[in-house]
Amino acid sequence: MPKIILEHVTKRFDKFVAVDDLNLVIEDRDFITLLGPSGCGKTTTLRMIAGLETPTEGRITIGDTVVFDSEKGIDISAARRNIGFLFQNYALWPHMTVYQNIAFGLENLKWDKARIKERVAEMLAMLKIEQFGARYPSELSGGQQQRVAIARTLAPSPKVLFMDEPLSNLDAKLRLEMRSELKRLHMDTDSTFVYVTHDQMEAMALATKICLLDKGVLQQYEPPLDVYNAPANLFVADFVGNPTMNFIESRFEKTGDNEGTVTLFGRTIKFKSSSSLPESMDVVVGIRPEFITLGKGSFEGSVYTTLPSGMETTVKLMVGKETITSVVFGSVDYKSQSIQKFSISGDGILLYSKDSGKLEAMGSLED
Amino acid sequence: MAVQIKQINSRKAMNNLRSYIKKPANIITVLFFVILLFTVCLPLFSLVRDSFIVHPGEVRDVGAKVNSFTLYHWKTLLAEKLYDYSRITFWKPLFNSILMALLSCIISVGFGGVVAWLITRSDIPGKKFLSTIFVFPYIMPSWSIAMFWENFFKNSRIVACYNQVGMLESITGICVPEWMLYGFFPCAMCLGIHYAPFAYLLIGGILRNMDANLEEAATVLKASRFKILRKVTLPIVMPALISTVLLVFSSSLSSFTVPSFLNKNGSFATVSTTMRSLFNSSSMQGQGFVIAIILLVFSVVILTINNSLTGKRKSFTTVSGKSGQVSLVKLGKARMPIIILVMIIAVFFAIVPLLSFALESFLEVPGDYSTFTTYYWTTKDTLEDRVFGSSQGILVNPTIWKAMGGSIILSLAVAFISGTSGIMIGYASARKRGSRLARWVSNMAFFPYLIPAMSFGAVYLSVSYTKTFSFLRSSIWLLIIVGGIKFLPFASKSGANSMMQLSPEIEEAAMIIDVPWWKRMLKILFPIQKASFISGYLLPFISCMRELSLFVLIAAPGSIITRVLQDFDTNGLTQVSNGINFLIIVIVLLVQFVTNKLTGASIDKGIGG
Repeated sequence: MPKIILEHVTKRFDKFVAVDDLNLVIEDRDFITLLGPSGCGKTTTLRMIAGLETPTEGRITIGDTVVFDSEKGIDISAARRNIGFLFQNYALWPHMTVYQNIAFGLENLKWDKARIKERVAEMLAMLKIEQFGARYPSELSGGQQQRVAIARTLAPSPKVLFMDEPLSNLDAKLRLEMRSELKRLHMDTDSTFVYVTHDQMEAMALATKICLLDKGVLQQYEPPLDVYNAPANLFVADFVGNPTMNFIESRFEKTGDNEGTVTLFGRTIKFKSSSSLPESMDVVVGIRPEFITLGKGSFEGSVYTTLPSGMETTVKLMVGKETITSVVFGSVDYKSQSIQKFSISGDGILLYSKDSGKLEAMGSLED
Repeated sequence: MAVQIKQINSRKAMNNLRSYIKKPANIITVLFFVILLFTVCLPLFSLVRDSFIVHPGEVRDVGAKVNSFTLYHWKTLLAEKLYDYSRITFWKPLFNSILMALLSCIISVGFGGVVAWLITRSDIPGKKFLSTIFVFPYIMPSWSIAMFWENFFKNSRIVACYNQVGMLESITGICVPEWMLYGFFPCAMCLGIHYAPFAYLLIGGILRNMDANLEEAATVLKASRFKILRKVTLPIVMPALISTVLLVFSSSLSSFTVPSFLNKNGSFATVSTTMRSLFNSSSMQGQGFVIAIILLVFSVVILTINNSLTGKRKSFTTVSGKSGQVSLVKLGKARMPIIILVMIIAVFFAIVPLLSFALESFLEVPGDYSTFTTYYWTTKDTLEDRVFGSSQGILVNPTIWKAMGGSIILSLAVAFISGTSGIMIGYASARKRGSRLARWVSNMAFFPYLIPAMSFGAVYLSVSYTKTFSFLRSSIWLLIIVGGIKFLPFASKSGANSMMQLSPEIEEAAMIIDVPWWKRMLKILFPIQKASFISGYLLPFISCMRELSLFVLIAAPGSIITRVLQDFDTNGLTQVSNGINFLIIVIVLLVQFVTNKLTGASIDKGIGG
């Protein structure tokens, strides 16, 4: 079934390189999110797979068919790639009713009238917009338009579905609601989903695999929790996770195969790992805020700000010149300027090479 | 108690008034409401009145006293059976005009629309060059194409053109029949070609702004190219298409210059040429006013149709998505033939006319290229007694140069008035969006577009006949007012467009630190939207420079260059009229080119495309 393969895909706009030598395999029934900051090439990648944009170089295969090959001059049009596409601004046709919008794709497939009617009714019911069939898009709210767009895209039951930031125009509450509906939809439809977003929470929540891009270059392509727990480089580590990871410049000295030391806040601390460690080098230590436990421990810092959000509280501490972020469960108000003790726990402490920014080791700190 | 409440109420009203006046947008709205009421609405009343009263020259025919009420003009024009009068003077010309307008609509919207689609949606080469020269015919005076048509097709077999030899005959020896040179067919063709760039600018603007995702969504759902065009693109641009059709129709219907140039054999009377001759004869002015009103009613009906078709349920305001990423249609094998064909047509009507005007002005015997002479440019001899003022060669003719100066001054003044008013009205309507008064003002500001140029002239002609305003008769001030109002519509439209794009916050940020209103306009708003504001000045300048129909009734002989040109042309001195036309076009193109290079302003921005 539809497995999507991208080989050496490059897209240049004049001199600007939007996507640079991208290699990607999207397995059947995956839910892939293309994640990255704006201008990183994620939308361009999606549009190239869909056939709405022509790559400068490379080869794209969907299922058994090569849909694009710059060397062989193959370029199958979007219409013949058997895909669905959900646009950021929905792109509903303003001159057609909701019914006509949804039926349009089925008419193009030469379905007979009765079948179209049945299918549209089914879609309307599935997305709970039965009562809007006769309305025009301008008479619907953003969330309703969104549902119509989804219905229109799903009606011909595409095996591959592309979505370009479909939730970014919705308000926060609706976005959460639609997010879970999309995930449900993925399970119900057994199609392959490719989803573009700049919202890392959305990517985490939805995807079976996250594809992180920066400046047109693939950074990491792994399941969400792997990306979260072991970001491949400093860019990914910084981009994924909210509040962001703490980075502290340091020096790593190797003392044994699985052991070494790092200097943190002026102290030398043991670093242990379950796998073998690299040679001594300058590093950046990455510590997720949830690994910083407040209340007791051998470190001390003064409270800079406290940001309670109900379920959890983000606390920023000043330790010497460094700012450290910690997340505490529940709503706790720490007094500004008060001195708090803290410890660093967990076996997810990350060491990145200062030169290359690559992940070198993962382990735990021992005082 | 009651007194107290009354006091409080009146204090409240005072306070409301005070805070209303504090906002410049309110003052502008009220000010322009009053100005437009006087300059647009009142003259209309005067026009209507003029069609019902007896004018000095009509006393004998009507058999009533001057200024008394009469239905004579209406009755005679619409229903006089004697000598078939009303059929010949009104119904037949009206029928001719409608037919001509319909054909020119088809030509301009068809041609302009196809070029707009090619430029915005296909991979046709040479887009920049094509879009530059394609608008030439619109920048040229509307009769230029007509004049070129005549230069090109006139031949020795046709008496009405004094048997002069045209380009076609002198190159190929082909003599076209008379119906191809004068009458219905050439009039419609020339108008169609003249308005094609206008259609191109309007439709192209919509296509450019239309969200390309709408078409892509259809592609993904397996619709064919043709089906997308038919089911998605066309319906969405339909309102723009219809308003283009209606605007071209109403402009063509009342066009005066083209039929007056291409009706030398007198076979093709149109409403506007009839109106002109009625106004010229002192005993039939009332009937001229009747025609003006009828043309006006046509326009109003067209506007109403236009308004009722756009808007409403199927809101067509297309939110632009990522339309920067339009996937262009690959024309494939048809690419070269299409571009060659389009280029040939565009060059033929954009560049060849210019050459032909220049060439014709140097020929002793029109069409005979062996008789090359600079005589008509340099001679101090009097060429023709019948023309007004001097008839020496173009370069040494004081009348021509004075009129040229007059036209430039007039155009500058008109551009200043309508451009500035346009920005003000645009500002007020953007800031007071939704207010009824602001909507009235912007509607009134657009109204002059719908009044046919000649009727508009007629309106002011009738004003200048009243005792109070008699000082305006034949004066440059009248021309300035008429031009300033007539060219206001696009200036105010482009002003409103560019103001709408500026969020109020930009101005509010300056308001907070107490920057006065005029300084906000000059130092903040104007610089940001410089290009489109200057376009709002450029379009009126160009339109005014090349305008004749509007001024033909009210301009004194020799006061503006287009009037002088027409004078030379009707008296058979085609070398001189060609030369003058060449000069006008060169000046207009130069102004447009220099302004565009210096400021980025262009007429398509002025039209709001």
